[in-house]
Amino acid sequence: MVWHKVTIHRVSGSTDTLPVVKLREMGMLMRQFFPVEDLARDERFVQTNMAERLADTRNPINATPSGRKSSKSRAASNRLTPDRPDASERARGLMHGIMVGEIQALEGAGRTAHDFDAGDGSGDTIPFELKLDMARQAWDEARHVEISAKLGDWMGTELGEFQENTVLFEAACSNDPVLRLAGVNRALEGLAIDVFTQMKEFGDLAGDPFLEFCEDWMLADEVTHVKMGSDWLRKVTETDPDRRKRALEFQQVVDKLFSFGGARGDHDESSFILARRFRELAGFTDDEVDTISELDHEALVERQAAIATAQAAMTGASAPT
Amino acid sequence: MSDTLVAGKVTVAPAQFVHVKYDAAEIAALVTDLTEQLGVSNPIELTIDETTPLAKIVSELDAVSSDAVIRIAAQSGALENTKVLTTLGPVQTKVAVGRMLLRARDRMRDDFADAPADNDLTREENAAWDTYCAGRLLRAGCEIHEQRWRYNYRNRFGFSDAVDTNFDRLWAADDLGWATLFPGT
Repeated sequence: MVWHKVTIHRVSGSTDTLPVVKLREMGMLMRQFFPVEDLARDERFVQTNMAERLADTRNPINATPSGRKSSKSRAASNRLTPDRPDASERARGLMHGIMVGEIQALEGAGRTAHDFDAGDGSGDTIPFELKLDMARQAWDEARHVEISAKLGDWMGTELGEFQENTVLFEAACSNDPVLRLAGVNRALEGLAIDVFTQMKEFGDLAGDPFLEFCEDWMLADEVTHVKMGSDWLRKVTETDPDRRKRALEFQQVVDKLFSFGGARGDHDESSFILARRFRELAGFTDDEVDTISELDHEALVERQAAIATAQAAMTGASAPT
Repeated sequence: MSDTLVAGKVTVAPAQFVHVKYDAAEIAALVTDLTEQLGVSNPIELTIDETTPLAKIVSELDAVSSDAVIRIAAQSGALENTKVLTTLGPVQTKVAVGRMLLRARDRMRDDFADAPADNDLTREENAAWDTYCAGRLLRAGCEIHEQRWRYNYRNRFGFSDAVDTNFDRLWAADDLGWATLFPGT
């Protein structure tokens, strides 16, 4: 086994180097590369994953108990707005999703700050300044967790009332730090920009004095996190185009997953839309946002087809083509 | 095989579910418990649309009489355990069906004659009536989180002290007529 040295950076600029083996003997080392199954949650939280979510064969679109659509129903759009009959419940569920997402984002940024040694960015190292950015992001996310938990309380939601999808943390488990930047900072935090923009608008339209205000502040942080990811991804892969290509491909995979079967997208069936302006501020090009929009649409079509097939199989009818 | 399950005065359809892991007998038992808790003795027909995860629930009476059949139509999400999707949530079921039973009981009163059918209620009418029902469910022993209903009421009527005062009035009430559910009455 090869033992690496751990370098302790001090504010003064000086550094101390201790052998890892010594720190391990002292019980001072956290383990690296934390599996999703080991995330610390108390008994209030129940976790799920995308496979379980996508196995749900019910169709969330175009159905009412009476089988009809009314002007008050979701017929016109699936967008999460206060004039939906189920607005409060949907907003509570989404806010809880945001809260657990913030917990996982905190855990992901913290892991990236810890899991890789400081170096020039090649191999398994990351620049020390990138570690500092991840530490700052972890601090931001911790604040967001607290804000989101308080917003949930304000909306009448109990911690753990809704299930926790661990897909966000799973994107933060890659062995390549550049893939984490692509998956977490650009895809996950990009999703946060879209969701926060929607919730900010929801709070504004509903006249909720806290929701709009809090989402606006958190949104500003998320734009910064995405920008950090965009900047570091370009910088670390500056001389390694293959690695950059792999990272951007991984981001597309995660972006499609985070579309949640088309729940995000530019179409009416989507609950929340792509926040193009804020994504632009965060370093996304128009082409990149268009690509995400296409991935969202693909995810929606695939999800609708999967549901139609599953429902047809259960009723013995032919699936529509 | 029958597509409905009959248990005493409660009928549940379908009797077997394929999209969700619900048990019609368990649902019937929960509803029977509720009728005893709330003192509702009418026959009840509960129809669940399991093809959608949405959570709308409506009720109607087959006649305006004290022995009318209460017909409830629910989307599967209305009865769902939000911690483990596609499974039945006993608390959610009691809160959702309980509101419908109280609405049905209200509709048997003369002073609710002007109440529109559930499908024709405005969002504000729904929020006010739900508040009135949820407060009574809490006092009947159901597990109710007041802030959830306060938030829903605020979303419909506004975020202000005056709105909160109206919420408190509905929440504490046990004997209101349709016209007195709304602000200024």
